[in-house]
Amino acid sequence: MKKLILFELRKVFSKRLALIALIGIILFSALLSFSTFQNKYAFDQNIGKGTGKTAVEIDKEIAAKYEGILTDKKVQQMMSDFAPTSDLHGLSAIYVYQNAMQSAAFSRFSDKEGNWNGLSVSDVFGNEEIKIGYVDGWLSTSRNMVRVFVALALAVIIMLAPIFSGEYEGVDNIILTSKYGKTKCATAKVVAGIITAILTTTLIAAFNLLLAFVFYGTEGLDCSILFAPSDYVEAFIPFNITCGTLLKYQILLAFTCTLSVTGITLFLSAISKNQIVALVAAMAIFLFPVLLPITEVNPLFRLVGLLPIYHVLAISLLSVEQMSNGMLYAIWAIPAALLFLGVGAGISRRVFAKHQVL
Amino acid sequence: MELKTIGLTKKFGSKTAVDNLNITLTNGVYGLLGANGAGKTTLMRLLCNIQNPTSGKILLNGKNIVGLGERYRNLLGYLPQHFGYYPDFSAFDFLLYVSALKGLDEKAARKKSKELLEAVDLSRESKHKIKTFSGGMKQRLGIAQAMLNDPHILILDEPTAGLDPKERVRFRNLISAFSKDRIVILSTHIVSDVEFIAEEIIMMKSGQIIHFGNPQEITSEIDGQVWECTVPTAYAEKYAAAYNTSNLRNTSENQTILRIIGDRPPMENAVRVQPTLEDLYLFYFKGGCEE
Repeated sequence: MKKLILFELRKVFSKRLALIALIGIILFSALLSFSTFQNKYAFDQNIGKGTGKTAVEIDKEIAAKYEGILTDKKVQQMMSDFAPTSDLHGLSAIYVYQNAMQSAAFSRFSDKEGNWNGLSVSDVFGNEEIKIGYVDGWLSTSRNMVRVFVALALAVIIMLAPIFSGEYEGVDNIILTSKYGKTKCATAKVVAGIITAILTTTLIAAFNLLLAFVFYGTEGLDCSILFAPSDYVEAFIPFNITCGTLLKYQILLAFTCTLSVTGITLFLSAISKNQIVALVAAMAIFLFPVLLPITEVNPLFRLVGLLPIYHVLAISLLSVEQMSNGMLYAIWAIPAALLFLGVGAGISRRVFAKHQVL
Repeated sequence: MELKTIGLTKKFGSKTAVDNLNITLTNGVYGLLGANGAGKTTLMRLLCNIQNPTSGKILLNGKNIVGLGERYRNLLGYLPQHFGYYPDFSAFDFLLYVSALKGLDEKAARKKSKELLEAVDLSRESKHKIKTFSGGMKQRLGIAQAMLNDPHILILDEPTAGLDPKERVRFRNLISAFSKDRIVILSTHIVSDVEFIAEEIIMMKSGQIIHFGNPQEITSEIDGQVWECTVPTAYAEKYAAAYNTSNLRNTSENQTILRIIGDRPPMENAVRVQPTLEDLYLFYFKGGCEE
């Protein structure tokens, strides 16, 4: 069995298209991370201004000044430190970006002239204790991961679409007449598919985390996502979770997505007569739900949100509900993935074993 | 060992590819002859259990092969007419993969793969990628994979297609040496291939068996109906078109010897000769492929 699994893995990873997809994702991740890092901008009246690495250092220095639990005193200090010193020419101070901390503070506590809007920390965040610090790097990483993981799911489809259907293009009659062709071989294909999905997801997630560590360091993982600069949709998740928790959920959801996609692709690969049909059908099924006019406020989203595309578009799914045990509703992606995988794997094995060579 | 079909029928829509076949095969080499579309490949696929019959069943020693599952496939070796391969695998790796599918352990797989690559004259190319192989080399690799598990039932669909004469002789010798106490079924259009090694001939037409017996028995049907006559070469084509001609051979002095199949002597100088399997084949399948 081990030998058969290794052969199946070799078949998956020796396909040119699969290698292109894998290398493409690695390059895409690197490019996305690097360009995000290079595009960073920060300005502070006392420290100066800069882009890229300098901007990150400025943001970290500012964050260090305020780090800890967000208090009304700190808010007042920020409003004073970041008060506009020049004419805004009619622009709202809320949207004038100076640095990550200023953007986070002004989007919640400023009026359009840059004065305090009168809200206290408890007015904005209720009784939640909001730990603040340098979150910009991790939130950038989270935002990039959404795109990377969508591409990853497509890459997994590319890698797995031929796993059964590729055999129907000629090798099936040799496989299905061999002793283990209808039994262990089909199982080996399923196992190889799962291993491929897990390995690829681990590789890509680890690579993106590594890039984040290199570019932004480790600061801020224990800080709340709720005090994020204004342009991060992550701050709309209505639960006080840390950047570390956000990334853990996001990576968990990447795994549930690729495993769900694996189940769907295995099934389509087994029933399709050629690999292109399997590939196109799996991609269409994966992407189609985003066209549905259902948002997270719709009760149906609790079901639709468990489809694999929403696992990687994590923000909507993470916004549904925090359950009584403290976990987010997104945790239901695990049983959903097991269901997709179980059904897909079971049916594909059966279909392959019963395949008629024509 | 006894492989038996009972009322075996396979239909594709309105076309009956295999029509109520009842045959019993015991140890020996069987040559399956028939024009394209006669049902040979379908019969082989049914015997391999990679196509389900519309009706009827196949029994191995009295047991339905469907129920035997792995136990039946463990006895089986199959070379399909057209088979796929993994272009980036070497010949040796491909055989190791098929060995794993056939349940051979690592050591036995390596030993057997090397032996078979030697037997089909591919040992020097064993590490080459299959995508670099010619059609004949791929065919020889296909023959090797079919024999990896020392099958008791070896089914070869057009095994000599693409092989040059030297390779065909090598193949015939390989099969002859291998066939003891086994059922070997091979289909081919090259009648001489089965004539040399098959103990029994199964001749199929329109999904039915029209002849089943050893070559001498079945050629006896056209005893006295095969003629050789010598004609001027200039008229040879005209005669060949007019009669059921199995062979033309030019001699010196602008003369051609025609081998003609017919009830009556085609001309006065015609000489009655001993029929061959090829004569019989042409007698039945002069029209080429079946619809």
